[in-house]
Amino acid sequence: MKKSIAVLMGGRSLEREISIKSGQRISNALRKLGHDVAKLDVDQHIIENLKAEKYDLAYIALHGKDGEDGTIQEMLEVLGIPYTGPGVYANVFSFDKIVSKQLFNKLGIPTPRFYFLNGSSFSELGASKILPQIVERLGLPLVVKPSAQGSALGIKLVEKEEALTDAIISALGYSKKVILEKYVDGIELAASIIGKEGPRVLPVVEIVPDNGLFDFQSRTGSGNTGYFIPARIPDKDMKTVQDTALAVHRALDCTDLSRVDIILDKKDRVPYVLELNTSPGMTDTSLLPMAAGEAGISFEELVDNIVNMALK
Amino acid sequence: MVLTFFMSKKITFDYWKHLYSSRMEGMVSSEIRDLLSLSARPDIISFAGGLPEVRALNYQKLERYIKRSLKTDGDISLQYGDSTGYYPLRTKLIDVMAIEGIEVDEEDLVVTTGGQQALDLLAKTFIDQGDAVITEAPSYTGALNAFKAYEARIIGIPVEEKGIDTRKAEEALKDLAARKIQAKFIYVVSNFSNPSGFTISLDRREKLLGLAKKHNTIIIEDNPYGMLRYGGKALPTIKELDIRGDNRNVIYISTLSKMLAPAFRIGWIAAPHPVLEKLTLGVQSAVLCGSTFSQRIAFEYFSDPAWKENIREFIKIYKKRRDTMLASLEENLSGIAEWSKPEGGFFIWLRVPECLNMKEVLADAVRKKVAFVPGTGFYADGRGTDAARLAFCTETRENIQKGIKILSKIIKDRIKLYKSFS
Repeated sequence: MKKSIAVLMGGRSLEREISIKSGQRISNALRKLGHDVAKLDVDQHIIENLKAEKYDLAYIALHGKDGEDGTIQEMLEVLGIPYTGPGVYANVFSFDKIVSKQLFNKLGIPTPRFYFLNGSSFSELGASKILPQIVERLGLPLVVKPSAQGSALGIKLVEKEEALTDAIISALGYSKKVILEKYVDGIELAASIIGKEGPRVLPVVEIVPDNGLFDFQSRTGSGNTGYFIPARIPDKDMKTVQDTALAVHRALDCTDLSRVDIILDKKDRVPYVLELNTSPGMTDTSLLPMAAGEAGISFEELVDNIVNMALK
Repeated sequence: MVLTFFMSKKITFDYWKHLYSSRMEGMVSSEIRDLLSLSARPDIISFAGGLPEVRALNYQKLERYIKRSLKTDGDISLQYGDSTGYYPLRTKLIDVMAIEGIEVDEEDLVVTTGGQQALDLLAKTFIDQGDAVITEAPSYTGALNAFKAYEARIIGIPVEEKGIDTRKAEEALKDLAARKIQAKFIYVVSNFSNPSGFTISLDRREKLLGLAKKHNTIIIEDNPYGMLRYGGKALPTIKELDIRGDNRNVIYISTLSKMLAPAFRIGWIAAPHPVLEKLTLGVQSAVLCGSTFSQRIAFEYFSDPAWKENIREFIKIYKKRRDTMLASLEENLSGIAEWSKPEGGFFIWLRVPECLNMKEVLADAVRKKVAFVPGTGFYADGRGTDAARLAFCTETRENIQKGIKILSKIIKDRIKLYKSFS
């Protein structure tokens, strides 16, 4: 049935550009499906814009801040407008990787060992003095990343201790807190999940970044990253990866969809969870549509599914 | 058990990778570009783009020019035109150049689609893969990109308050000569350079010209901001110095983007006739001819003596904004950072302590609604992490003060953070 749908895109996050690409593509699909579509840039006028029309649904095509931290979901709850994707809880607990990793640890879901430090702890508490101990415990190389930032912005692989300071300062440009995480030598995997009751894992995508780290360039399709689908891993590993992804999806109370990023340790075959995305990219080089395509679900069908789940 | 291995397939997003020219390899999307996409939002205080204050133009008059262009000779305005540009406009452009002391004829010019096409045409005309070209470092990104597109090897010469370091330029030219390599050209923005804001001193202009003659090469002098001087004494262009002699070594580029408006997409090149012939062929193969309509309207604009008043109005606005930004920098970053004090143009070049990476400062700044361009974009070799270009031409006085305050706080906080590690 024809619906009036507001596609929320753009916004204030550093991933604005990717969000606009996702939003454009989603809007085109919604129009093809016969819906009335309004593309709304999320700025200071968003409330008035959402109130101006009687929308049946808000399609969240935002990435990062506001769109994946629960902000926009909470506002839509207040306005009483149904929206796509997981709810406030899932967004709040997944956006800050420190929170989600703590939760994974508590639930026994494997995640690379890590320590986090607040930016102000360096200038006010002399936190830099404990860095040698952290390095000793995690070993080198280690991964330094901002606690709350998508698209791998600000992420650095530190191979030598001398490079640690610059990596931390760099990550703190993107977030107030920084994560120092044990580097796992493994296979990068993305497990996308869709479905309301009985969610299912779509074919798992294997990512082979050309520079060894799935960073911003690789993620935005501008590098020479290779993607293999389904991932080239034995069935036994595939099963543990899928089970882990579903466990994460359920643990964070995700509804309708999510994408779980995992690194499968080459040696011990443990699927370590890196993060969960509540509004995965929907561009023509994004992983969720890629996985759906492999499962025989066209982009329009995927969008249609997401809309129908949100309206249920 | 390992069935998946055989079912797996590699995903291809771009089926035509094997067909692209090698020159496309170096052209990739950058993180900075994505960060700067935020600066287009109205709630962002943007020191990023050098956007002229087009609101200062008299729109009613422009409307009249457009009407007249259609009414009096619409059949010409809407038709294909001369590849060298609409002749009556060229007669006006030589008047504009004469104000800056350059005496040339209509026949010495070719009109281009903005200054950027001028750069592209010159690169196409002179550069083969791997050819050496000399630029200022930092230099205008648009020029670097145009040269890179033709796979030039860019040799960046540092700039100082007095402009390009001619001693270093000489060393570079000598080094090339010793290796029997011909530098194809030396590219400079002589007045209030983009991004540094520096102006090449008279002494260095003469030296640079001498070097070009000695090493049998060309200077491409780009002068988009020459008319926008807010203080100090105007210097003769390098082209003027060359005209006083044998007039062989300088190719001069300018644009109407800052004197009128960027949307007209009108630039031009003044060059020796044999070079002009090549450039005209270049125009023909690229666009046949520039927009006659646009050039016809520009002709009307320059036929009205009021255009000089517009320039005075632009100068008044930009001077105030420059002064505001300089005062704000002084108030907030004195003793912490250094910056250029341009006598005109659009840009201030900010240098921060080496420990800071301005790309990371930008990530923080855009979250706090301030944007600028990190310095790395103005170097061909990755330098410039500790620098930034601040455009003062676009924002209001209040926004400049507010934006510089926010930016300064981020810089100070990050220096404090860095110091806490040592």
